[in-house]
Amino acid sequence: AQTTTLRFQSTWPNQDIFHEFAADYVRIVNEMSGGRLRLNLLPAGAVVGALQLQDAVISGALDGGHGVTAYWYGKHKAFSLFGTPPPFGWDAHQFLAWYWTGGGMELYGELLEMLELPLVGYQTGPMPTQALGWFKEPIRSADDLRGLKYRTVGLAADLMREFGAAVTIMGGGDIVPAMDRGLLDGAEFNNPSSDRLLGFPDVSKTWMLRSYHQDCEAFEIIFNRNRHDSLPEEFQAILQYAAKAASSEMYWKAMERYPRDLNGMREQQGVQTYITPDSVLQAQLEAWDKVIENESRDEFFKKVVDHQREYCERVVGYHLEHTTPKEPAYVHFYGKSPTDTSTIL
Amino acid sequence: MRFVFFIDHLSTWVGKTFAWAILILTLVVSYEVFMRYAMGAPTTWAYDTSYMLYGTLFMMSGAYALAHNAHVRADVVSRYFPTRVQAGLELALYLLFFYPGIFALLFYGWDFFAISYRQNEHSSYTPGGPPIWPYKFVIPACAALLALQGVAEVTRCVMCLMHGKWPRRLGDVEEIAIPINKEAEIKAAQEQSGEPRQ
Amino acid sequence: MSEPEIGILMLGMLIVLIMLGFPIAFTLIAMGIGFGYFAIGDIIFSLLVQRAYGVMSNDVLIAVPLFLFMGYMVERANILDRLFASLQLAARGMPASLAVASLITCALFATATGIVGAVVTLMGLLALPAMLNAGYDKRMSSGVICAGGCLGILIPPSIMLILYGAMAGVSVVRLYAAALIPGLLLAGLYIVYVMGRAMINPKVAPKLPAEKLDVPLGEVYRGLLTSFVPLFVLIMSVLGAILFGLATPHEAAGIGALGAILLAAAYRQLTLARLREAVFLTARTSAMVCWLFVGSWIFSSVFSLLDGHSLIEHWISGMSLTPLQFLLLAQLLIFILGWPLEWTEIIIIFVPIFLPLLHLFGIDPLFFGVLVALNIQTSFLTPPMAMSAFYLKGISPKGIELNDIFIGIAPFLLLVFVAMFILYMVPSIVFWLPGVLYN
Ligand code: NA
Ligand code: NA
Repeated sequence: AQTTTLRFQSTWPNQDIFHEFAADYVRIVNEMSGGRLRLNLLPAGAVVGALQLQDAVISGALDGGHGVTAYWYGKHKAFSLFGTPPPFGWDAHQFLAWYWTGGGMELYGELLEMLELPLVGYQTGPMPTQALGWFKEPIRSADDLRGLKYRTVGLAADLMREFGAAVTIMGGGDIVPAMDRGLLDGAEFNNPSSDRLLGFPDVSKTWMLRSYHQDCEAFEIIFNRNRHDSLPEEFQAILQYAAKAASSEMYWKAMERYPRDLNGMREQQGVQTYITPDSVLQAQLEAWDKVIENESRDEFFKKVVDHQREYCERVVGYHLEHTTPKEPAYVHFYGKSPTDTSTIL
Repeated sequence: MRFVFFIDHLSTWVGKTFAWAILILTLVVSYEVFMRYAMGAPTTWAYDTSYMLYGTLFMMSGAYALAHNAHVRADVVSRYFPTRVQAGLELALYLLFFYPGIFALLFYGWDFFAISYRQNEHSSYTPGGPPIWPYKFVIPACAALLALQGVAEVTRCVMCLMHGKWPRRLGDVEEIAIPINKEAEIKAAQEQSGEPRQ
Repeated sequence: MSEPEIGILMLGMLIVLIMLGFPIAFTLIAMGIGFGYFAIGDIIFSLLVQRAYGVMSNDVLIAVPLFLFMGYMVERANILDRLFASLQLAARGMPASLAVASLITCALFATATGIVGAVVTLMGLLALPAMLNAGYDKRMSSGVICAGGCLGILIPPSIMLILYGAMAGVSVVRLYAAALIPGLLLAGLYIVYVMGRAMINPKVAPKLPAEKLDVPLGEVYRGLLTSFVPLFVLIMSVLGAILFGLATPHEAAGIGALGAILLAAAYRQLTLARLREAVFLTARTSAMVCWLFVGSWIFSSVFSLLDGHSLIEHWISGMSLTPLQFLLLAQLLIFILGWPLEWTEIIIIFVPIFLPLLHLFGIDPLFFGVLVALNIQTSFLTPPMAMSAFYLKGISPKGIELNDIFIGIAPFLLLVFVAMFILYMVPSIVFWLPGVLYN
């Protein structure tokens, strides 16, 4: 049978586990379609750089791509809400639930229409809480963040700016070289496996776990709308259902790999992990209030963030009321605290 | 010929004006380093300012470089062609090689800028960063200048086809400050290694 | 023809088409557009714009105009004659002392300016007559200047390594650390060679007359202090800031440019006219280099869209080469490309073709980069486009023919290969310093 091939680029370097997640999506599409729909996967930089992916897909130079919405935040800050929202107590699964069944997708469509971006997009792949990041010295108080050159993405960038950090946003593959070159004093990327593969342990040995800057996040898969609409309906369905299937696969794989790489970095590469002090976490929550207030001057931003807030009040409320605490169970069965392997500041 | 020189002068003037961006860039970068190490207060604007100065500098100097034949060529073989053949080839390549790309940068570059302008796009490198659309405007602007300089170059080719020798170019800063008494010898040596395009 | 085959055709045609002698940047853009139109239709025009913007927002390349500016300022500061004079005094007791002083002057000045043409020309005017008057062999003297003038490409901080870093996604800082010792090694080999030849056959480099040897030590130190030391400090502060992670390459280049302005002021050479010249030259040369990047990036985007890499990868893996054979093949190709082309084109256009293959053979891009940087020296020295020899011929006295220059260059070419061989046998020359500094 005839094969339809789509040009698909990720925003991740070849060696990153995220590129592997993109490859998993590609594999699922290829398998679901029995090989009739093929995505030809390229790493970041092959056709365009990470931060130019959306432009390339809009123009049609690429048919689709795998990234995160926070990268498009220069076009509208609300993009960040669809990838890495404020920490209203939800986890990434609940965030994706908001997107797929809680009304998020409709708002996302509204944003694309408002900015005249001919795209079709899916949020997929729940990412757990992200670490505060890699530093030269442990962060003991909110004051330690003042004056640091720091990398993060999306609204988290505005958040860290509230702490007096000089924030730079850059693509995943550029961070470690930038730290290496002294362009950054601190940086966060995402998770133990990615951070390890990207080489963070080579440029820093201090990793601060726990933060509210990106308490949950998801990937975004985008396609050029014209190209997408020109495909047979069954292919369109495959592209969407593959995103959902890849979402679960990604999380399962992450649960296998992330803990292993965290221990690997500690045991083989001499990385010291620290638990971010509660005072910093509290200060982050307060800083979020300011960021939300500032950005809510934009009408559309306010509409989305209010929608998320209402959703979380209901859904997170339910979840927290309903769920038994997990830590006592861990302590009971293993006779140790899960944070024993880190230094608590 | 006056019209060709007019274009040369225009490109040169624009290029030399934007060339001063390098001095500003030097100062911005030095200031940032000073603020980071001496004051412990890195700026939030130096990063965006730096790449914008760098990009503006080289893009807006594109036509200036063309006007002074400073874009590197692999002319090992073609420098031995008869002058008229060189000119004919060059003319064809301006139409075939040069203008498609320059028109793409002009018209599609304009769209690229216009979309960014409509979105009021801001820097995606810094929170609260500067608007980015003026920087994107550099692309169609420099392409327009290159397209114009291309007219001068095409005219040179036509004139060379007609008269059998390359019309002269405006003088410009020499790469190496060479004592005047050596200039004649250098010319002679260059001629020995083929006829470089003027 | 399949798309990857068309990708290979594109690569093959490029080599032919750039030989037409049209500006390479625009030839690359034209080929990108032509083949891109075939691959993705008129969308290629938008992609060109996006790639141009990609070059405009690349944070590694910011260092290029800044280093150029620093180089032109150092050059316009007119310090070369003092530098050579003082090194000549300092080296006066050694065999082939003038050649040794020339090589050290070249290495230092080339490192600070990074402009091969300037070094060769100025040294040709200054050191070549000095050596000829002292009875040095004209061939060896020419070789010294041509080869010495290219050392700035290799010894960090060098623009070549920045371009390689931008192409390969390799940390420029690590590249600098990796290239430092090999750079000094090559310079050292050159010096050992001229000294050795002078000892075996004193006729090629006669000893200076006794009255020239008798110089008070104070004068020597004063000379070094006012010429060698300031330039050395400038280079070391730029390099040190980068290697110790105090500043990014572009920040260090900015500081270096400011330092060069101050240096020129200190030598009372800073005039508005000189500053303007340096500014204009910087703009012109930056435009040349960065437009080459625009061309190369659209070219390689289309090559990726056509999936040309997979076919090359398929071929190369089908040839079942050993890593050594692959390295030899790659370096041989780069060497041959160096005959007609100059280093900028080789780095920006052809090195990216080899890069995706390195992982197949387990070759570290850092190591490959240093080998390339060594190899690229030859592109200036091999005919027919031996720019180094042309610059020298341009200013050399009558009686020195291009042929003499080429014969004089030959031993130095050989030494480049020797250095590459040593590197291959003892890779820790490359990896030791980055290891010490960053692990
Ligand atoms: Na992150
Ligand atoms: Na050559």
